[in-house]
Amino acid sequence: MEKFTKAFPSKPLPSKTAKPWALAGVVGSGNLEVMLERGGKPSDAMECHVETSIPGYKASWLAALADFAHHYPAGGAKVTIHDQGAPPVLVNLRLRQAYDHLTKGDK
Amino acid sequence: MSGALFHEQTARQRIAALADAGSFVELLPPPERITSPYLAQLGIPVSFDDGLVIGHAKIGGKKIYLAAQVGQFVGGAVGEIHGAKLTGLFKAAARDKLPCVLIIESGGVRLHEGSAGEIAIAETMRAIFECRALKVPTIAVIATDIGAYGGIGILSTCCDFRIMTEHGRLGISGPIVIEKWMGKKAYDSANRALVWKTSGGKTKYLLGDADALVHDTSEAVRDGIAKLLAKSSAVSLASVKARQKDLEKRLKRFGATEDPDAVWKSMGVRNIEAASLASGPEFAALAKRGK
Repeated sequence: MEKFTKAFPSKPLPSKTAKPWALAGVVGSGNLEVMLERGGKPSDAMECHVETSIPGYKASWLAALADFAHHYPAGGAKVTIHDQGAPPVLVNLRLRQAYDHLTKGDK
Repeated sequence: MSGALFHEQTARQRIAALADAGSFVELLPPPERITSPYLAQLGIPVSFDDGLVIGHAKIGGKKIYLAAQVGQFVGGAVGEIHGAKLTGLFKAAARDKLPCVLIIESGGVRLHEGSAGEIAIAETMRAIFECRALKVPTIAVIATDIGAYGGIGILSTCCDFRIMTEHGRLGISGPIVIEKWMGKKAYDSANRALVWKTSGGKTKYLLGDADALVHDTSEAVRDGIAKLLAKSSAVSLASVKARQKDLEKRLKRFGATEDPDAVWKSMGVRNIEAASLASGPEFAALAKRGK
């Protein structure tokens, strides 16, 4: 188990989102769950909390999260991740799904 | 998600598809982070909802308590938090006299927190019997191949009704467990036809363990629930004795049978192949039930 927390610079979230929080994915083998919530502290940073069952890949995590924060206006969002060995491409997909649910609503 | 296959949906999608639009209010939602205290100690990631989504909703304008298990998270298994949510939901249903519907997808107790899970299942059964004593309808929906096994299999049979699809399975010991104990000759868990003919929705419907066999869509499951929402009966000594007699009869009739087809035939299914290929409701029409 490895845990870490880091904030990434990001443009602020839209002032109105469809929901206060959104969830994507599930904690299963090779999968992860991502929760995005409004109300992270600085509005120009995406605050990330990661818990993963596979230690030793912090550099890949930081790269994937920094990339997302760079491409999506997610400042002021709090991202919490429970991971059970998802590949980076799936991490990116789940972040995008959770972001879509947050900003546009489910489905 | 209308029209989507029920067994392919996630727990949250199932709830959204069953409840009247926008009526579901989740209790202890993910932002509250009520997660398992045990899994973290074992180096296993926790889940925000501990594998169970609970809340209240409306179905056809009628208020109910509604829950769905998340089968992909440790097999939908019941730990302390998951179990406490389950118990609380049925207790709330008894308190408010509102029907309670549980969408099941669970292998039973979570072995990582076994004692807590076992106790939670027992407490939930007690809460279900409380509901039934008050004639508050309790309904279990079993619609995926993860099915209802172990403690959750038992718990599902404590409810007033079980709605199944042909994908659903119901039992105590799962196929692999039976094979490990009895040997591959006695029970081959890789033989899907055998597994579904012994624990699948069609067989359970024939034997009367499932009360409805519906199509694998949220609309059909919703219709099935709506039909049963008004009915409940208390568990009495007489009803338990009658059930025990039925089960003794069943054991006498089928206990020595090695071929599940013989059970189907004996229950009135004439054309085994057609019945195997039939959808749930077609099957129900083909078979004459429990003569």
